[in-house]
Amino acid sequence: MSIVPAVIRSTFTALRKDPLGMAGFVLVSLMLFLTVFAAWLAPHDPLEVDVANRLSGPSLEHWLGTDQLGRDVLSRVLYGGQVALKVALVAISAAMAAGLVLGMMAGFGPRWLDRILVISFDTVRSFPTIMFALAIIALTGPSLNTVIGVIIITSIPVYARVVRTQTQALRERDFILAERAMGASTARILRDHVMPNIAAPLFILASMDVPAVVGMEAGLSFLGLGVNPPTPSWGSILNDGYSYLRNSPWPIIAGGLPLIAVTLGFTFFGESLRDIFDPKLRGKDQGGK
Amino acid sequence: MSALLAVRDLKVRYPLPGGFPFRAGGKPSWVDVVHGVSLDIERGETVAIVGESGSGKTTLAMALCGLAPVLGGEVRLDGRVLERDRNHRLNPDRKRVALMFQDPVGSLSPRMTVRRLLAEPMRIHGVDSRDPGREASRLLSLVGLGEEFSNRYPHQLSGGQARRVGVARALALSPDLLIADEPTAGLDVSIQGEVLNLLSRLQQDMGLGILIITHNLNVVRHVADRMAIMYLGRFVEQGDSQQVFSRPRHPYTAALLSANPSPDPDAQLDRVQLVGEIPSLLHRPPGCEFHTRCPRARERCTASFPGLTGAAGEQAFNCHFPMD
Amino acid sequence: MSAPILEIRDLSVGYQTERGYLQALRNVSFTVPEGKIIGIVGESGCGKSTLISSIIRLLAPNASIGNGAILFKGQDLLGLSPGDMRFLRGNEISMVFQDPMTSLNPVLTIGRQMADVQHRSGASYIGKRSRSLMMLERVGIPDPASQLGRYPHHLSGGMRQRVAIAMALMTEPSLLIADEPTTALDATLEVQIIARLRELQRDFGCSILFISHHLGVIAELCDEVIVMYAGEVCESGSTREVFLGPRHPYTQRLLECDPARIPQRTRHLPVIEGSLPDLVDVPRGCIFRERCAHSMARCATERPGLSAGLHLSACHLPDLAS
Repeated sequence: MSIVPAVIRSTFTALRKDPLGMAGFVLVSLMLFLTVFAAWLAPHDPLEVDVANRLSGPSLEHWLGTDQLGRDVLSRVLYGGQVALKVALVAISAAMAAGLVLGMMAGFGPRWLDRILVISFDTVRSFPTIMFALAIIALTGPSLNTVIGVIIITSIPVYARVVRTQTQALRERDFILAERAMGASTARILRDHVMPNIAAPLFILASMDVPAVVGMEAGLSFLGLGVNPPTPSWGSILNDGYSYLRNSPWPIIAGGLPLIAVTLGFTFFGESLRDIFDPKLRGKDQGGK
Repeated sequence: MSALLAVRDLKVRYPLPGGFPFRAGGKPSWVDVVHGVSLDIERGETVAIVGESGSGKTTLAMALCGLAPVLGGEVRLDGRVLERDRNHRLNPDRKRVALMFQDPVGSLSPRMTVRRLLAEPMRIHGVDSRDPGREASRLLSLVGLGEEFSNRYPHQLSGGQARRVGVARALALSPDLLIADEPTAGLDVSIQGEVLNLLSRLQQDMGLGILIITHNLNVVRHVADRMAIMYLGRFVEQGDSQQVFSRPRHPYTAALLSANPSPDPDAQLDRVQLVGEIPSLLHRPPGCEFHTRCPRARERCTASFPGLTGAAGEQAFNCHFPMD
Repeated sequence: MSAPILEIRDLSVGYQTERGYLQALRNVSFTVPEGKIIGIVGESGCGKSTLISSIIRLLAPNASIGNGAILFKGQDLLGLSPGDMRFLRGNEISMVFQDPMTSLNPVLTIGRQMADVQHRSGASYIGKRSRSLMMLERVGIPDPASQLGRYPHHLSGGMRQRVAIAMALMTEPSLLIADEPTTALDATLEVQIIARLRELQRDFGCSILFISHHLGVIAELCDEVIVMYAGEVCESGSTREVFLGPRHPYTQRLLECDPARIPQRTRHLPVIEGSLPDLVDVPRGCIFRERCAHSMARCATERPGLSAGLHLSACHLPDLAS
């Protein structure tokens, strides 16, 4: 674990040279800050109804105007971020963890296990996610937890396949053979030697996955299949705004902006992470021979 | 009075992907990389196995460490049969045989410090060291590296340094037998001696048996007490290295010995010419397997496999028409 | 005496690294005469890769050429445009690399790659094919016709290297640069290939610049040899003179360390004590001083230049010929 400070330092050095990556990092940090501290930053109660002022444009009191029930859009957006964050964090962590385990089993274990797992992954991935979600939700009813569950199930194969490929590549490397020659058990090899070497691509994948997951939640909430009203979510804000578009464009703009920001931010940051992790920990000082 | 390591008729077979085991006339579905090898190594002795790429010498080394699928034959360490465990349960005999890999940097886990790497063998075998840092320093000093190397990562080591870390790691559990796969490959001539001298010194101090796998005959001449020449998974000749060098009996040995580019510009070169390249392991030549490249081959060589000439302990070879 | 094919004059090349400016080559000078095989002997860190990359002008982006000239047939390669340089590469100047697996395209057949190399010849498909077959025969590949349809991974290491040599010589270059072409091969193949190279060089008449750290190969193949250490030329001359009467302490020690040259069997092999100097912080005076048994006060302050004559040595000591 002592490699972590070195990694952080070199990440920042590299970020300074990559303006887009830096911009992404700033954007991501900003979004996280606003979301986490929504309770302190939000000027109004997002559930407070004020029908007299419904669908008003931006004003000093309501920076982003109000929605069809007179609720402050800005506050709803800030709190909506918490939903997005919760979904992304929980879903991606769970999918990553499960994908890591299954992927390592597939990549390192016997052939027959690999075949079974790969067939399972392909089967799950062959369902279009939204249809899968619709089917499940039709059975269980709309709820945020169901959304999270669906996202986890459909994301696991993606992570697992990446882990599997990386593990297979490592399997025949000399240092793994050396550990086996010393008598190390498979569990030890996977934990101490395989995992640390495949962690980096996994984190990058996760970072690039955040916008997709947030978008998925927003989409499902937009369809009315996600959060239950009156809980704010960026998707539900978009849905409400869509119905009242002719009265005021502001809810739509307010709901769409954070989605754009999250997507751009995580994508740029994730891409620069990839450049950072790839050559860094594998190369020596550059120099001729 | 048993040898430290006694190998009898060892065979390693690898399955080939695709194809049922019995495909009449089709492509073979397995390949015999080691095809019956017998060898003894005593304590304090250095034995070298030489051969070209594809001779199976690296596979032989891996088989002795449980890393290759052994088909048949026997390996005894101090008289006790070495368990062929296909599961990964800890085998105490694993501690007694240590392997050094050809790629010095690649055989070290890239995200671990040298200190952690040196502690690995002890962690694996549950040998509790109260102070792993001190153990690491002790091992490093055994191989002539300073303490500052404890904190380095493999990619920060030069080839020679990484090799020495590999030696240190191999010594961590005080093995009885050290197997070094191409210990001088990739090293500059000016530092090859460092690794070899180190191994000699350790052998003297610890009474190790050393098995060196190499295709570098110049090195073998100096450091090996006995040597074996391997071709297509079998030994064609073995014996005391000085004797083999001065009077090789098998034509392949003679060819290998003469195939050395000489650093003496005035040397008169009398090369035994080899024809062609090593045949594929999938299509072993009939009779004596070397006959396709042998300048002395005659009809009998195509027909029958030559038996072993020479008893154990002497210079032994398999050839119908040996050199004199 | 005809003009040299290649003349390196006072070449200095460095790399911009995190730790500073690494001076990989410092004032390197030597010539490659027409029709001769010149060997460069050097261990890790001597600068041979940088030297070759500089000649063919394919240096890394963080490299910079300090000063000097690389004259190919009288023309300074450093002043050429990328287009002109590209014209020379593969045509007048060819290369053979250490690892034939990476210099041959794994997804194209041998025949296709050999035809591609001839793209400037203007010959027809049949013409190119027959020339490819001829070249494969010249390098000793059995049954060339069937090899044209195969892929690199079907061939053994030795065969691949022969194909690489055939491709390099196909355009009849004036200069062939071979970068450790036999290092990855067994000794038996090595001797076959260098014998072939000698033959081919006699027939084609090109000059060969042969880089290796394998002393035996250099001694057998090369007419002249240049010994490099840590970015400088420390000795050069005819192979015979340098190997039988080395003048520079590094060359002497290097030859002493070669186990092939030690007649008596010994368990204690010689080494050169110490390690390479840091080329970011190049020490004053002689670059080999720290590891030299004969160093004097002068060696710490004054950098020795190459002596005059045919057998050159960069050393302050008058004559160490034993």
